[in-house]
Amino acid sequence: MVAHKSRNSTLPGGVPKLSRSAVYKKRALYKRAKVQTKPSVEPAATHKTKQVQGEKNGGTREVPLQRQPRFYPTEDTKKPLNNRRKVKPTKLRSSISPGTVLILLGGAHRGKRVVCLKQLPSGLLLVTGPYKINGVPLRRVDQAYVIATSTKVELPALPDSLTDGLFKRKPKPTKNEKEMFVENTAEDPKISAEKIALQKEVDALVVPAVKSVDMLQSYLRSRFTLTKGQFPHEMKF
Amino acid sequence: SSGINAEYGEIGNVCFIRLGENAGKTGVVEDLVDQKHLLIDGPDSGLARSVIRLNQIAITDLKVKIPRGCKTKVVRAALAKDDIPAKFLKSGLSKKSEAQQAKAALGDFARFKMRESKTAHNRKIRSTVRKLKKSS
Repeated sequence: MVAHKSRNSTLPGGVPKLSRSAVYKKRALYKRAKVQTKPSVEPAATHKTKQVQGEKNGGTREVPLQRQPRFYPTEDTKKPLNNRRKVKPTKLRSSISPGTVLILLGGAHRGKRVVCLKQLPSGLLLVTGPYKINGVPLRRVDQAYVIATSTKVELPALPDSLTDGLFKRKPKPTKNEKEMFVENTAEDPKISAEKIALQKEVDALVVPAVKSVDMLQSYLRSRFTLTKGQFPHEMKF
Repeated sequence: SSGINAEYGEIGNVCFIRLGENAGKTGVVEDLVDQKHLLIDGPDSGLARSVIRLNQIAITDLKVKIPRGCKTKVVRAALAKDDIPAKFLKSGLSKKSEAQQAKAALGDFARFKMRESKTAHNRKIRSTVRKLKKSS
């Protein structure tokens, strides 16, 4: 059959011109209406027969496959609706990619230019100064607090241990009554030895890549500032 | 062009548009509307035949011979005959506008490099001047 454009049309307001029955008549569907035979579906088995012992017990018994619960709640409570939301990783701005030089806009290191290493599973960006160049350690940063420049550094393969787990806070050891009035003689170091080692490892990979580009090291050492007549919305980064 | 005309533009004067949505384009003055408005047409630079404010433009020295309020095709022919686009590219205004565009397109790293090279350059000059002053 050659396809025809719609036999119906829409009136202003989104209302169809012809009713369902009018369209049925117009399309002469009475000529084409066929009774659909439903494919026969075997009803799923709900019971199974079990052999029962004992003369007077009838030999077999129909046992339901799915047993009813023994206890019911006294009140009908509402079931929460199905949550079919799939958590997707945070969408990264197209201007940010591993190796991009970023300008930090907040925090202690605001104004500093850092190298973006990767996007972590939490959605945050993992950056490093590198620490040797501008004192910014391996740090997590939200892409909203960052200006992405068009400068990119060629990064080599980085260690796999760079994940969100690195930044998990260590729980403070709870003191019992006896120890409450005893001063802490040994303070935990603020930065763990593993973190320092990892920082050195990552910097050993990133710093040569930075040094290979002319003036990039001094660029990362400097801070971003606005001078008179400079407006961020008019500037290209 | 002499005094008054240089301020208001004569018919046939080539103008460069400094401000507004048509900034960067050139056009030819076709007619004067009032004290502050001109009828301008720039077929070679994509400017439609339109009225423009005097404060938005810079009047150049280049001039074509056209009748008052003529059609665009007349302007187009006159511009081609005198080869105005090529002459305009040599002008200071054009070079200045190109330099401005290039500066605006600089990225953050490029701006840093420019600043550093300027500082280094100025330092060199200053130190040389100081040395000369000392020795004299």
